[in-house]
Amino acid sequence: MKVSLNWLKQYIKIEEKPEVLAEKLTLAGLEATVEVVGKTVPEKVVIGEVTAVEKHPNADKLSVCKVDVGAEEELTIVCGAPNVSANQKVPVALVGAKLAPDFKIKKAKLRGVKSNGMICAEDELGLGNMHDGIMVLDNDYEIGKSFNEYLDTEIIFDIELTPNRPDCMSHFGVVREIGAITDFGYKFEKIDLDETGDKIDDLVKINIEDEYACPRYSARVIQNIEVKESPKWLKERVESVGLRSVNNVVDASNFVLMETGHPLHTFDLDKISGAEINVRFAKKDEKFETIDHIERKLSDEILLICDSDKPIAMGGIMGGSFSEVDDNTKNVLVECAYFNPAVIRKGSKLQQLSTDSSKRFERGVDPNETLLYAQNRLADLIHKIAGGEISKGIIDIYPKVIESKSVKLRYSKVKEITGIEISKQEIERIFIALGFEIIEKKSDKIVVNIPTFRPDIEREIDLVEEVIRINSMDKIPTIRRLNITLPETVDKLHPFLKSVRNLFVGLGFNESLSNSLVSEKMANSNIWNYEPLKIKNPLSKEMNTLRTDITQSLIANMKINVLRKRENIRLFEIGKVIVKEERSETGAKEFLNLGFLISGSVWGLNWNEKPKSVDLFYVKGIVSILLEKYGIQNIKYKTEESEDKNSEIVNVFVKKKQIGKIIQYKKEKFNKLQLEYPVVIAELNLDFIFKNRKEIKKYKEISLYPSIMRDISIVIGKDKFAKDLLKEIKTNGGDYLKDVVIYDRFVDENKLGKNKISLSFRLEFGSDKRTLKDDEIEEIMKRIFNKLLTNYGAELR
Amino acid sequence: MSIFDKINDISNEFQQEIKSISEESQIVDLKNKYLGRKGTVADLFSMMGKVEPTDRKKVGQSLNSLKNNFAKKINEIKQQFSKTEQKSKDIDLSLSGYSFNKGSQHPLTQAIDEMLDIFNHLGFDIAYGPEVETDWFNFESLNFPPNHPARDMQDTFYTEGNGILRTHTSPVQTRFMKKNKPPIRIVAPGRVYRNEAISPRSYCLFNQIEGLYVDENVTFSELRGTLDMFCKMYFGSDVKLKFRTSYFPFTEPSAEVDVSCFLCGGKGCRVCKNTGWLEILGCGMVDPNVFKSVGYDSEKYSGFAFGLGVERMTMLKLGIKDIRILYENDIEFLKQF
Repeated sequence: MKVSLNWLKQYIKIEEKPEVLAEKLTLAGLEATVEVVGKTVPEKVVIGEVTAVEKHPNADKLSVCKVDVGAEEELTIVCGAPNVSANQKVPVALVGAKLAPDFKIKKAKLRGVKSNGMICAEDELGLGNMHDGIMVLDNDYEIGKSFNEYLDTEIIFDIELTPNRPDCMSHFGVVREIGAITDFGYKFEKIDLDETGDKIDDLVKINIEDEYACPRYSARVIQNIEVKESPKWLKERVESVGLRSVNNVVDASNFVLMETGHPLHTFDLDKISGAEINVRFAKKDEKFETIDHIERKLSDEILLICDSDKPIAMGGIMGGSFSEVDDNTKNVLVECAYFNPAVIRKGSKLQQLSTDSSKRFERGVDPNETLLYAQNRLADLIHKIAGGEISKGIIDIYPKVIESKSVKLRYSKVKEITGIEISKQEIERIFIALGFEIIEKKSDKIVVNIPTFRPDIEREIDLVEEVIRINSMDKIPTIRRLNITLPETVDKLHPFLKSVRNLFVGLGFNESLSNSLVSEKMANSNIWNYEPLKIKNPLSKEMNTLRTDITQSLIANMKINVLRKRENIRLFEIGKVIVKEERSETGAKEFLNLGFLISGSVWGLNWNEKPKSVDLFYVKGIVSILLEKYGIQNIKYKTEESEDKNSEIVNVFVKKKQIGKIIQYKKEKFNKLQLEYPVVIAELNLDFIFKNRKEIKKYKEISLYPSIMRDISIVIGKDKFAKDLLKEIKTNGGDYLKDVVIYDRFVDENKLGKNKISLSFRLEFGSDKRTLKDDEIEEIMKRIFNKLLTNYGAELR
Repeated sequence: MSIFDKINDISNEFQQEIKSISEESQIVDLKNKYLGRKGTVADLFSMMGKVEPTDRKKVGQSLNSLKNNFAKKINEIKQQFSKTEQKSKDIDLSLSGYSFNKGSQHPLTQAIDEMLDIFNHLGFDIAYGPEVETDWFNFESLNFPPNHPARDMQDTFYTEGNGILRTHTSPVQTRFMKKNKPPIRIVAPGRVYRNEAISPRSYCLFNQIEGLYVDENVTFSELRGTLDMFCKMYFGSDVKLKFRTSYFPFTEPSAEVDVSCFLCGGKGCRVCKNTGWLEILGCGMVDPNVFKSVGYDSEKYSGFAFGLGVERMTMLKLGIKDIRILYENDIEFLKQF
């Protein structure tokens, strides 16, 4: 929304500099920036008078000029223009003036003569293309003044409005704000209508079918007008706020719109069939061509303004091409109506047509005083600039008056909410300046009547805000002491997530954060077989579904990195995955998951270690320490049959619940990327780990006596599982067996025989009461081996 | 000055100089200066003739011990240098160490952690809510009536069924209030979504941190105090805050908060567009209609709420110009943090 400073000054005295006023408006909630419209020149370009011109001693084409710029001493300036002569008023760029980003005026010596500035040509100041010579100015320009003061410019406030302030989409609204902020009075012009035409009731009939959609409709007619170019002042006004000048009638209508904020519509009365207007909803599939010459298909929720046989406007949204005022229009009908905000909003959404007019009606215009003022103002203005006669009377259909509200304010409430004491006088001053009426005054409260141009004010709290925003939001004191109440619960999730992140950062992973919006294809290929949740109004096909796993995001991230030739990629990500769940209220179910991916060697390329590919067991190791860290027990790993021969899938269970997956993808899976190593990922449900974690693990007594280590290597059938052998060893190891680790696995048909493998175990024995003796251990080792022999056919190696 | 004083001075001078030796080549210079044919010690010896005969023996002894001491020290330092030399000849320490992968936390989660820690200091607990919300929690309970133009302030994604992707973390406010009674003092972090074209300045999602404090007699002054402390703890103790009136349906009065540009100190620079201020968060006093929707008595309780965008703060702090780099996950970017 643009308002012009000159225009505002028509109604109120403004003393503040534009920047200061913009800052004050901004603090009060009208975010304003200052724009200078029109031509300007850089700073430090001033008016000077050439007092003497001499030929340059060393150059034919140059002159040495003495120039008076209002300073103590005259400047000496070397000038190359052929038209320079004494007693001229000229624009002078002083030393320091920046005429272009890379062109700053400096003290210079031109062929041996000092020059302190530059006399400028039109193009050098960005005012035109002339470069035949310097600009020669009128004689009444004052020496020493900034050249900008003589240029035709206008100060415009560009105001970003919040949707609660439709009243400020106008000069009137902004004037009221300035009045309240600066405490200057303001006055809007009075209108005296010269009604000399025919009686309006004889010219047109108006019928409103739906009072809910159109609570008020007013019309006036101006007869025998002449449509032509607007007068200069009107053109300047509408152009200053960014509108295009069309003709006197359209410009007048726009002027009143920008002045009062009320949208008006002008129809060519002679194009209205039957001289009647009907306000009704469209029929289903009814067609209508709007003023932009687009034929639109309507539904029965679109409000129409019609004549006896066809629509002529989409009420409050856009006019029709047929009834437009044109150069030949003689009689014009001015419509000024109040449409129901919800009806206009719905129509605008349905038609996907948001106009300046629809925005105003949606947010709420004033159905009372402003409406009538705008109607009369436009009739008067058209009459004054386009001639003709204003018809006698007005048609004003307003069956159910929209009353203004009265709101009570307890003075104490202001301090209660803001913490700052504001005097009763100041509170009353603010309300009156904003155009409110105080209808009741008591020692502890006042009752304020709110004019209908402020639909945003309905409650006591709204009045508190008015007081504080005008008195200055920025004056509220900043308390240095906070009240902190003891919370009933303390969040544990965030510290938990922090510790998970720390673990992965410590393991050399980089944390990624990926878009939760993915393509349907990507969401469908999730590792959990979840049913994805689609977005009804996506930005694009690539982002029409919520992600159903972290794995796909990580793979996509890996691809970006590989394509940029990044090596040894280790990523982890913690985030929500969202899936379809019809039984839930929102149709969605959310899980918090952790995913991580490794592609590359265990360590980076270096001189003393060969690269070693990461594999399933490397990732299993990480999963194990993560679960161990949070005390999750009874973990089972089970392979899953996969149709994809390029991937190996391991499911992670705790008791019977699946909590994760580890997948190893062969490098062939990503053919295009030409990977050197396989890709291994794991994804785990963090909700489960969080809920089942053991926060406090009890301290376990540690033994002060040294442990004794024993190794045993056996040969067994390939079909035997490590976990069974470990279990056998543990059950037979007795209380002294503290730990067993497999430290070697060896396969060689020639040495071990067909379908045989060798496994080596290291057993740790110890007691917390004494040092164990060798022969005790020997006995246990024998027992263990015998069991392995009888139950698993193990042989010693 | 007696010759003994001179001997003492020179001895001290020598001690200082030998300490400052850092290269082997300096040793020769030192030796020449003190023990050379025309060196300091030789000078002293040449003064022997002027010494009283009774003192000669004593002076001679002192000079000899000085000379021997210097020679010994010089020898020692020579050996030290040759030792280090020899060691580094065996091991080429210019070879790199093992190549570990440098792990890193994403700058956004780092920022969230930092901010939540500060709010923890200020007595706020952490609360959460779902990313797929109901219309009631995301809009209606927060005083956005259906068909209200304020809904246009936030372009919304709708999901199959009746869900919407939350457009702000504010629904956590009403979720939490429905389940708990005042006093309430929480912050809620999380992803929010906006149906806006992706560009260097906006992404379809971003992280927000929401704050809510509800109790008896809560005032705007306390809101200012809280945000002032937060900003000073996060941006530095010399930042200033400016509160501008604004509009959010769920707060009244509402304000936007600008912080003095921490890059130029408020003088004006490219980042703050020469205004000296950066817009960083929105806040206000909880609107009575919000209290009504969760069944609180707005005559008894008052409260404040605020919300800030983590991406914007992080981009300002790190000088990131294109928001998309935060979600691209190039490890060359990630490893910087």
